Amino acid sequence: MLEDAPSASPSARAALAFEDVSKRFGRSVVALDHVSWSIRPGARACLLGPNGAGKSTSIRLIEGAIVPTSGRVTLLGAEVGSEAYLAARRRTGVVPQGPGMYADLTVGEYLALARRLYGRGSVDRVLEALRLGPYRAAILANLSGGYQRRVALAAAILGDPEVLLLDEPTVGLDPVAAFDVVQLLREAMPERTTLLCTHNLAEAEALCDEVLIMRSGKVLLHTPLAELRRRARPLVRIAARQPVSVLQSVLRRRGLSTQVDSDGEGVLIALDEPFDATPSLLRSLLIEGIDVYECRPIRPTLEMLFLDVVRGAV
Amino acid sequence: MFGRRETAALLRKELGQVRRSRGALISAGLLSLLMIVVVPGLQLTAILASGRQALPSVPLPGLARLDEPRQLFVQLMLPAFVALAGVMVPSIAAVHTIVVERERRTIELLVALPVRVGDILLAKLLANLALAVATLGPLVFVDMAALAWLGFVSPAYVVSVCLLLVAALGCSVGMSLLVALLARDFRTANNLNGILLGPTIGLVLAVLILVPADVHLSVLAGLLLAIGVGAVAGGLRWLTFERYLA
Repeated sequence: MLEDAPSASPSARAALAFEDVSKRFGRSVVALDHVSWSIRPGARACLLGPNGAGKSTSIRLIEGAIVPTSGRVTLLGAEVGSEAYLAARRRTGVVPQGPGMYADLTVGEYLALARRLYGRGSVDRVLEALRLGPYRAAILANLSGGYQRRVALAAAILGDPEVLLLDEPTVGLDPVAAFDVVQLLREAMPERTTLLCTHNLAEAEALCDEVLIMRSGKVLLHTPLAELRRRARPLVRIAARQPVSVLQSVLRRRGLSTQVDSDGEGVLIALDEPFDATPSLLRSLLIEGIDVYECRPIRPTLEMLFLDVVRGAV
Repeated sequence: MFGRRETAALLRKELGQVRRSRGALISAGLLSLLMIVVVPGLQLTAILASGRQALPSVPLPGLARLDEPRQLFVQLMLPAFVALAGVMVPSIAAVHTIVVERERRTIELLVALPVRVGDILLAKLLANLALAVATLGPLVFVDMAALAWLGFVSPAYVVSVCLLLVAALGCSVGMSLLVALLARDFRTANNLNGILLGPTIGLVLAVLILVPADVHLSVLAGLLLAIGVGAVAGGLRWLTFERYLA
């Protein structure tokens, strides 16, 4: 683990905490390997990692659906599986990852079930908040993907939870539906501790201020997003009329390491002082006959930072 | 492991879904009707039509003293049908309600709510039990009333058959739990049901034939109940609810 500032020691006041948690499935599969992290109340954290990192297992452990092989998982101070856990669970809303939908249950019936289980909340209020009113009597399986996700979110916020667990809330949705869901999440998240488990880094960047990156059952990094940005070397994007390969070779001759940008039309270079170094670099490129039409410092996206962390660069 | 409030809320949902589940209702209703009314009714009609005929003596403890068709029906045929229907009806309904939930991933919607997986499974098993009691109970009552009216059975026999039905239902609940924990899809569930039901049918017939008739209902009830308890204990101990979510 590279740095673990917010999770150094899980405090009793943490909203979510993993203390030296391991989870094995059978004898050979180690889903989590002595993992420790915690999230303070009110934080909005995203749990990132490639497939098999242990993200879903972490969510399942917090949900209480599975138990750790060793270590301790706590939700709002209550250890999973303890007497107090169910009460803590009633203060937690969960949006599951792409759940199946009942072909014999209506939106209203499912939310009424959620209301009975949370022991509080107003079905009418969440139907109105998520603009589901006209679909109250609709069968869940007959709704579009976006509206099905709204129902899951409605159930999650019905009990006015203190903690929100969002497991890939927009996976499988078309861009319009995904945008709508992200807007609804943005409305639902303030004042609530949120753990967003996702592969969608743009979504994580838009919704969260803390990053927890996992790989192969271990935590690689847990830090505020701003801190991660601060530690990353600033980037400058350069694009020219010449092919990217020509631009790369010219930059490499100057001792700069280059990386082709995701659009394939520009080159990214890391510069410690981009505002000081860029003008002279630009001048030299133009003198050399490179027709530069774009040269600007850019803020590294979470995707760039994530890839750097997973590849071990940060 | 189980929360009363959670189980009650989930049971309400399950019962509502069972009422709408054509597959579960048709399976449970038809099987019950066939095993408790149609086949025994045809046998009884034939017995009444043929009058009292002496049966050849068979040197097996359960059959030794059954010297006429009426006794054969009361002591062997009807208990066999009651036990088998009690074992089969809930477990077949469970395939519809439990395994389909897992196969279609609707279980994720429930796990997202503040419940334990144990609550979910318990509610489903109770719903299947309720369906079996609702379908089998009245039909067994009809059988018992008819036999009592004909003077074929005593009150003690009626109580024994009712206890046998309860034990068979208990056995079925245990087997349903195993199927729910082991089967990941509808097809596997049906195969597993067959694997579990086959030996159970053999056991029922073996007990009725090999154990003396004056105690075989009690022995069979005890064995079925023991199988049910063993299946539940084994399911919870070795398989764990994690399998249901795997």
